[in-house]
Amino acid sequence: MADNKIGIYLCEGCGIAEAIGMDELEQTVSNEFQVTTCKRHAALCSDEGRAVIEKDIKDGEANKAVIAACSHRVMAGRFQFDGAVTVRANLREQIAWTQTPQDEDTNMFAADNVRMGIAQARNSENPEGHENVVKSEKLLVVGGGVAGLTAALQAARAGTEVTLVEKTDQLGGWTRKWSRLIPSRPPYRGLIDNNIEEIIKAVEDEGRITVLTNAIVAKTEGMPGDFEVTIDHGGSEVKDAFGAIVVATGWRMPDDMSPYEKYGLGKVDGVMTGVDFEEVLANGVEKDGKKLETIAIIIPCESEQMPYTSGVADRIAIKQAIQVMDANPSAMVYVLHDNLRAHGQAEELYREAQDKGVVFMKAMVKSAEAGPALTTDDLLLGQEVKLSGLDAVVVMTGMMPNSTNPDLPKAEKGNEFLCDDVNPRVPITVNGEDNGDGDEAKAKAAAASGDDDEAASVAPADCDPDNPPLPGGALINLQYRQGPHIPILYNGFIDSHYICFPYETRRTGIYVCGAVRKPMTAYEAGNDATGAALKGIQAINLVKESRATHPRAGDLSYPHFGLDICTKCRRCTVECPFGAIDENEEGYPQLNPSRCRRCGTCMGACPVRTISFKNYSPNMVTEMIEAVEQPDPFDEKPRILVFACENDAYPALDMAGINRAEINKTMRFIPVRCLGSVTLVWVSNALEKGFDGVMLMGCKSGDDYQCHFVKGSAIAQERIGKVSETLKNLMLEEERVAIEEVSIADSRRIVELLNKFGDQIEEIGLNPFKGF
Amino acid sequence: MTAAIPESSRTYDLSFARWVRENVKGGDKMNLCMQCGVCAGSCPIGGEMDNGPRKTFMMVRAGMKDEVLSSTTLWNCTSCYRCYVRCPRGIPVTSIIQGLAAVAAKEGYADKEKVANYYFSRAFWWSARTFGKTDERLVTMKYFFSFGLAEGIKRSLANLKIALGMIKAGRMHVGMPHTIRNKSQLKAIVAKAAELEQKG
Repeated sequence: MADNKIGIYLCEGCGIAEAIGMDELEQTVSNEFQVTTCKRHAALCSDEGRAVIEKDIKDGEANKAVIAACSHRVMAGRFQFDGAVTVRANLREQIAWTQTPQDEDTNMFAADNVRMGIAQARNSENPEGHENVVKSEKLLVVGGGVAGLTAALQAARAGTEVTLVEKTDQLGGWTRKWSRLIPSRPPYRGLIDNNIEEIIKAVEDEGRITVLTNAIVAKTEGMPGDFEVTIDHGGSEVKDAFGAIVVATGWRMPDDMSPYEKYGLGKVDGVMTGVDFEEVLANGVEKDGKKLETIAIIIPCESEQMPYTSGVADRIAIKQAIQVMDANPSAMVYVLHDNLRAHGQAEELYREAQDKGVVFMKAMVKSAEAGPALTTDDLLLGQEVKLSGLDAVVVMTGMMPNSTNPDLPKAEKGNEFLCDDVNPRVPITVNGEDNGDGDEAKAKAAAASGDDDEAASVAPADCDPDNPPLPGGALINLQYRQGPHIPILYNGFIDSHYICFPYETRRTGIYVCGAVRKPMTAYEAGNDATGAALKGIQAINLVKESRATHPRAGDLSYPHFGLDICTKCRRCTVECPFGAIDENEEGYPQLNPSRCRRCGTCMGACPVRTISFKNYSPNMVTEMIEAVEQPDPFDEKPRILVFACENDAYPALDMAGINRAEINKTMRFIPVRCLGSVTLVWVSNALEKGFDGVMLMGCKSGDDYQCHFVKGSAIAQERIGKVSETLKNLMLEEERVAIEEVSIADSRRIVELLNKFGDQIEEIGLNPFKGF
Repeated sequence: MTAAIPESSRTYDLSFARWVRENVKGGDKMNLCMQCGVCAGSCPIGGEMDNGPRKTFMMVRAGMKDEVLSSTTLWNCTSCYRCYVRCPRGIPVTSIIQGLAAVAAKEGYADKEKVANYYFSRAFWWSARTFGKTDERLVTMKYFFSFGLAEGIKRSLANLKIALGMIKAGRMHVGMPHTIRNKSQLKAIVAKAAELEQKG
């Protein structure tokens, strides 16, 4: 773009003019460098207000507009103008609504915010998007259970070509075994017929779906829009390109069944799993020609350390009890539970079971004897009760996710790619529990030790229908620098943010649904799959336009690398939470643009500050820091800089403004994409320029992280841990720099935090660099 | 009360529970009990009961016929209906407790040592039926003497001081018991009720 012509537009609406001395403000900012025009309007967001800005842009008066009005989080669409860069300076939420009206400090605050806006505008260009990487708009669905089938079907009906990969020779997965299903519609009573055969038929009849059975994903390379996937289809390799991937690998029986032995499972005749009992139910509650009339159904409790037990078990227990009563109203069914969790509408199902005469006992099973019989501690009667004369005991076992093992093989940070040494057929377990023996265990051990020759030699060579591939595997065997796995969280369930972004994984363009994400019933898995399929389609469409998929959906900017001064230190490649940056043969960073989520963690990592976005760069923030006027030391007005994460901290600040909470007048705020993008240079810049304190506000880090970019806030914590050295060298107190974790709901706490930090800085005293 | 009460062969034999469901008023709703304990928590005299309504219901399910029918819970209930009103599942708790008490009385579980209230209620109803009103003196005397002559005298003497005090304070009248007007109509009502009870 040619020379900067910055137009400043001051809004007087929403109480801004009442709180801020507008004449003084206009005078101050008009004289700034490269400012060509400064105009005021009673309401810039009105049609007349917009027309003022539009005219200036058209007449060539301005090519960059600094709109000093409300927070950049509101009216974003309203203040977009063709051919011009728009920057917002927050006068409303941060100042007009939170500061003493017409006060000297208020006016200084307003002037600083506008000046920071000017600095931001000076260093911003409109982003144009990276080159188109889309080679395929097809969707790959891994897993042919109810979730995978539904995902494929829904995506196909939305017009997307789908390939469905199923490792066994049959579609339908576990759901094929179920006799009847939990009702999904009001009145939520009365079991419904299993419709899996209809779904399978619909999938087979759908022209847009290619079904590959006896197939597994052997290797996945590339990025969203261009996933090059190698599928092992019955021993022969099929290569294809896909736009996005939906993983619906479902669940399996826990590898370790020993916790269930105390219920007699595998030890006492007549004790069976809930899965086996489905067969009995389908057979008219008959086993070996004998009608089963007195049945105890045990829901193991979590307090007994059974990590895979979930609310699904409770609902299935209720469902099975109803089925027994439906078949024979004079049957006696006991459901033994610790806590009965009837999620969602299943409360109705619970009532139905009670109505039909099922007895729910809060009883802890102590032991199982032949008969079968159970000795229980009946908490409702307060005594030990022996249940004898039972025809069958049913144990609701857990659902272990068919996910991936992060420990196997180890991801090697910053080293060569570790792609080819993963054998997808090698069985893996979750949480390091080893259940395998013989060849499987050997193969696993070999894979763990990195000896792929041995792993390959002991792993089954071909996909034999009689000997289907073993459970687990690296799922889709990603050829990413962080390793082949899709990261998991508790108990091996694939990481996803249950509330905000349920389908997202930590690998862009790869979505999960069904029981591999959390325990679910068939109906829930189907619903979940629909969501994941739509996310896949959305990702393909955004990548087609070179836009970010998540969470900055639609963002066109992407990181640029100034290779001329790059030192090949590889910090950006290592720290990128999404494996978006690889190294080329010469060791320079190479971006996989559609994997990138535009958080800027690479930018914060780069020691030579050569990574930048068109509208977000190290230089831009440095100039914003310098734009803040430092009052004379004798005025005793401290200045504190706050880097606020745009995802949670900044909205919480806006909310504080909306609530008219008084924000500390010494604070100056710079919104950042993620704390991961904050480089320590900014912190030292700020202190050198005379800021008395610097605070970083980001999301929660750790295992239960809330960071929208997974690792950003954790990386910021780590970097800040190293800042004390710098501060010591500058002869400054460590307490001048702080990092806080806030959530979007913390609008009250955030004000307290700021005040506390303000008091702390006041106690330490002014920065001795002030005035230099 | 038609069918004979089944004997339980083992713990949690549901035949007793199912008999209760069929034969006790309100028993059809007993299945819905989710053992939350609001009934027992609301009971103003829960401390005077051995089991309380919640546990009684679970004991019915467990087939503990003897324990249920000889329990003081059935007799100490004052019919305040708090449990009935508060039950989140709408179970007529009070009616079921009363129904079980009726079964216990009929089946000879009303042991005078344990369930004194049974005799008290008999005395109460005698007075109500005879006079249309309860006369404190007569109800008390009849109740005391239902435990035998010697026990009756003993209990009467033990309470003599209280009785004299009440007379002195004008809290208990002397002379003929009060009656209602049209006693014949009361008799007809009682006869009709007895007839209905016979019918079941």
